[in-house]
Amino acid sequence: MLNFTSMKTVTADNLTALLVEWHEGDEAALDRLMPLVYEQLRSIAHRYVRRERDGHTLQTSALVNEAYLRLADQKVVWQNRSHFFAVTARVMRHILIDHARRRRYAKHGGGARQVPIEEASAMSMERAAELIALEEALDELAKLDQRKSRVVELRYFGGLSLEETADVLKISLMTVRRDWRAAKAWLYRRLKEAE
Amino acid sequence: MKAERWHEIETVLQDALDRPPLERASFLQDVCAGDEELKTEATTLIAAYEEAGDFIEQPAIAQDAHVLLDDDIGREIGPYRIIERLGAGGMGEVYLAQDTRLSRLVALKLLPVYFASDSERLRRFQSEARAASALNHPNILTIYEVGESDGIYFIATEFIDGKTIGELMREQELSLEEVLDCVEQVASALAVAHAAGIVHRDIKPENIMRRHDGLLKILDFGIAKLSEAPDSVQSEGTGFPTHTEAGLVLGTVNYMSPEQARGLAVDVRTDIWSLGVVLYEMLTKRLPFSGATRMDTMVAILDRQPAPLSQSTSELGLSAPVLQPIVDKCLCKDVSGRYRTVGDLLEDLKRTREQLSDKVGPAIGRRTSGWTGRLSPRFVSATLGAVVLVIAIAGTLLYWPAVVPRQPSASETAEATAKAGKLYSQMSERERLDFVAEQEQRISSMMGDRPVKLDEKAVRVIKARVDRYAARTGPSTDPETGSTTAVYERAQPYVPLIARSFAARKVPVIIGIYLPVIESAYHHCYESALGSKGLYQFLPSTAAGYGVSREEMCDVEKMAPAAAHYIADRMAELGEDSQSVTLVLISYNRGAEWVRDSLRQLRGTENYSRNFWTLLANQEKLDEGFRRETAGYVPSFFAAAIIGENPEVFGLPTPPLSTLAD
Repeated sequence: MLNFTSMKTVTADNLTALLVEWHEGDEAALDRLMPLVYEQLRSIAHRYVRRERDGHTLQTSALVNEAYLRLADQKVVWQNRSHFFAVTARVMRHILIDHARRRRYAKHGGGARQVPIEEASAMSMERAAELIALEEALDELAKLDQRKSRVVELRYFGGLSLEETADVLKISLMTVRRDWRAAKAWLYRRLKEAE
Repeated sequence: MKAERWHEIETVLQDALDRPPLERASFLQDVCAGDEELKTEATTLIAAYEEAGDFIEQPAIAQDAHVLLDDDIGREIGPYRIIERLGAGGMGEVYLAQDTRLSRLVALKLLPVYFASDSERLRRFQSEARAASALNHPNILTIYEVGESDGIYFIATEFIDGKTIGELMREQELSLEEVLDCVEQVASALAVAHAAGIVHRDIKPENIMRRHDGLLKILDFGIAKLSEAPDSVQSEGTGFPTHTEAGLVLGTVNYMSPEQARGLAVDVRTDIWSLGVVLYEMLTKRLPFSGATRMDTMVAILDRQPAPLSQSTSELGLSAPVLQPIVDKCLCKDVSGRYRTVGDLLEDLKRTREQLSDKVGPAIGRRTSGWTGRLSPRFVSATLGAVVLVIAIAGTLLYWPAVVPRQPSASETAEATAKAGKLYSQMSERERLDFVAEQEQRISSMMGDRPVKLDEKAVRVIKARVDRYAARTGPSTDPETGSTTAVYERAQPYVPLIARSFAARKVPVIIGIYLPVIESAYHHCYESALGSKGLYQFLPSTAAGYGVSREEMCDVEKMAPAAAHYIADRMAELGEDSQSVTLVLISYNRGAEWVRDSLRQLRGTENYSRNFWTLLANQEKLDEGFRRETAGYVPSFFAAAIIGENPEVFGLPTPPLSTLAD
């Protein structure tokens, strides 16, 4: 029960302030934003799964935009949109990596299981390994070139378009394109080496 | 590799990538002359780029959406098997889990992995949580275990099935006795914690839960401070455990003490302040300190005096001027003017309670029974209530005379056509069907995303209901049920209240408005043999489960939030897009289990989709109750909403009801 209801107490004003605080480097603000953003991500995921079944394709960035509007409710200043996008990407990354790590650990877990672990999990072992490798590579890339790792985070985990990524990072579209292709090459090579 | 070297490599890489693939090798040959490492780096990166294809081009969510939905259900963490996700909090995900050793239910909080990788924070977390787990008091949430299993850090606590004080305040009136009882329970728990040297530091309504039997539990002892900046220090000499809180301004600030707002050292008197804020809020339904922004609120906390209880707009606030000194002493900005310990506060509370029972004894006595009598009843399945509801609705609908709409005269038709829209009564059969289909889509989209194109049969069913209702517009001679005009007029004053209640639960407001309209129950409190009555037609036991007593079932103020809560619960079970909401509507009637079973039964049928219209199209495969009663429920809802949202088309002298929502 431990305070899971606190997500209801983050108001629009709170949201603005928390986004700014996080943007200004206060990592603790992410803890408070996490539940709120997680709920939004879940609702995005929900629609993703449904539309997938319906055979429609879907623009993730459109969904993230909608999620923001739902939260912001007019009260949040528009410039915070990019903070929100950035937070969403970071939270998504945390969630997936978290899950992947748990997934990997679970293989070593003992005890009698009623549900075989493969069935119980939404993530395959291969996918978990892939994500963990990507996370490690992304951390390495951040040490070499912080901005490129952020471009990847925003695009891959945040589902943002090139234009939105440029907007969030306040760099030109051209720079995003170039960062993206270099990062992609670098990461791909890194993962191949590791295999 | 150094960052500078990488930039060198990248420049070459980018230049090469700007050239056509066939020219790249020779370009590298030239530009990397003499620097073999540079050449190898650039060559392998280009090869990687060319081979990468759609690597990371699709956002992760496209592949992992299921992960966010299915989470860890069924997973075992140490001895705990996860059953259900309860929610997310400041410090990670919370699950309902079973302790496989003891077969008991626990609330299991899993800490995010990134949190666990911060060893200083983790150490602090573990020591705080362990200290808190030593607290033993009926009003403090019991921490069973703080542990780690295969790299996952978790806290297992007692599982509380109940509501937070925040939810209770929003959903129902609290009596003075309830308020005092609540404050006393919290204070006595704080006394034990304070004696053990633990300050809660985040006392607020959302951190206090009330179990169904009325027992309060304080959550998050020793955990509140973990979301703070990691620079807490022990101060000396005061005898109180104190911490500095530089930079701590996260979450809600409304319950924060002045010393917290200033980032100064805090002690037990911070909890006394926060409890004072909760007391004030429960009495007056207002926060003593609030502002448009967090900064404004903090300024109010530091500088402003809350309005005295005697100026309160709530009856409860006015009834208790005798509590003013207690409120003042909790909310003294200078810590030295505040109660020194919760023990002192408890004594004052006790004295005041005695005073009150001398003065207004009967009033308190009367409400005391409410505290235990009204709140203890367990939630009872809504299915029974729903059956009653069906009977009530079916009764209303079946006895409405089906009147053939009057044929318009030629001049009337011309007049209507001249205007933007036509009156429904003047439309041709085809136009009516088109109108109904179009309006159904509009109303569906007001209920969530993913509206569906209706088939001809579904449109006809709704249209038949619209025709029936439309025949009842105009003056009525029947005082018992009233004309449709009268029903919509009666609904008007309640719309803002309904809108607030439903919006608070994130339930589409349109459901709240038209659900009772189809029951024609705004003026009379219908009562069945089973006791179902009132605006939203609940069984007394169901109503009690949502905090409404039998006597209150005709009170719209009570019933609207309860109905919203009830529907929100069904949406959580069945889904929230507009198609699932059609199922939610019948679950109001038949229960969610029935809905799921019926869908399962029909899964193999042609054109199956997960909505009411599939059930309708295949009704011969479902039970008799559906054909006789339930089948009419959703069409009636749409018919009511179509008329209510398009009053001009039906010649009603009311505005569209949803426009009154704010």
